[in-house]
Amino acid sequence: MIRSFGTLFALLSAIFFPWPFTACFALGMALYEPLVPLTVGLFSDTLYYTSHGAQMPFFTLAGAFVTAAAFFVRNRLKTGIIEG
Amino acid sequence: MKKTFLAKRNALLSSRSASWGALALTTALGVLFLRLLAPNLFWQAFAPVFRVSDALATESHSFSDRFGNAAALASLNEKLVERNASLANENAALVQKVANLSELLGASGVQSGSSGILAGVIARPPESPYDVLVVGAGENEGVALGMEAFGAADVPLGVVSSVLADVSRVTLFSAPGMTTNASVGRANVPLTLTGAGAGAMNASVARTAGVAVGDTVFVPGPGMLPIGSVVRIDSDPLSPGVTLRIKPAFNLFSTAWVELRATGAVSTVFATSTP
Repeated sequence: MIRSFGTLFALLSAIFFPWPFTACFALGMALYEPLVPLTVGLFSDTLYYTSHGAQMPFFTLAGAFVTAAAFFVRNRLKTGIIEG
Repeated sequence: MKKTFLAKRNALLSSRSASWGALALTTALGVLFLRLLAPNLFWQAFAPVFRVSDALATESHSFSDRFGNAAALASLNEKLVERNASLANENAALVQKVANLSELLGASGVQSGSSGILAGVIARPPESPYDVLVVGAGENEGVALGMEAFGAADVPLGVVSSVLADVSRVTLFSAPGMTTNASVGRANVPLTLTGAGAGAMNASVARTAGVAVGDTVFVPGPGMLPIGSVVRIDSDPLSPGVTLRIKPAFNLFSTAWVELRATGAVSTVFATSTP
């Protein structure tokens, strides 16, 4: 439930809410869905990126970084002895 | 025999992480491809979304601005209160001005009528020579040499000493060397006012006339017109008379409108030649 609505809300927040709120929400959603930061970053750059406005798709890169970090943490937790 | 299924523990490909996140990522990639391959279709599809987003952002900003900065709001409120007080004072001044003009015009509101000619003051000291007013009415408006100029409350100010087509020059009673017949006090003691310059006038009367500080000085007109009041009495023991220092009824140099009338009652002598 949290994953489905959270993922949908994260995408919608990229449209309707300021980017700091969306970034924080995507960061929180990474605990449940590691791909959400990358997805939100990619979606935000798809909507707002212009070549003359920024030199690189910052949101996508940041989302990819957070997603990679989330996968790394999850992987360590799942293979550890303290898996919850 | 029951088989034991051991799922491979892979964080990237687990069924849990491949559900909603992968679906959303696929959707985002689809939108990205749509923008790259068919940009026109993309902008047409998302234009309503952006409009709704802009409207929502505007509303949210206006809503948050109400609570944004309490100090700024308090400062703004203070400025508005001050501005309100300033406007109230200005309004009171305008009401007073309207009342003065109405009184000056006899509530007729006409520029020129049987009662006189209303003229705005174009120049006053120090723009004009001292104790001289330049008013915006001349021969074209019916101004004639020797007409008397009145301020608010029918206070005589001076006499028209020069007339041009559209402007006139009013020499005030306080002009140096200008003499005017007048009377003072309840006994209407006759005296001759002499202009002392800068809006002040002097007069000499007998010591026994009983004139006191605060007595009103009148000049002849339609009735007795107050021109000023005695503010000081200089007495010389060697002289049988006293010198009265007379202050005009109001600041002659701050008046903005005058009314010019041909009264014929004031006998004035110009010490200086009129152009």
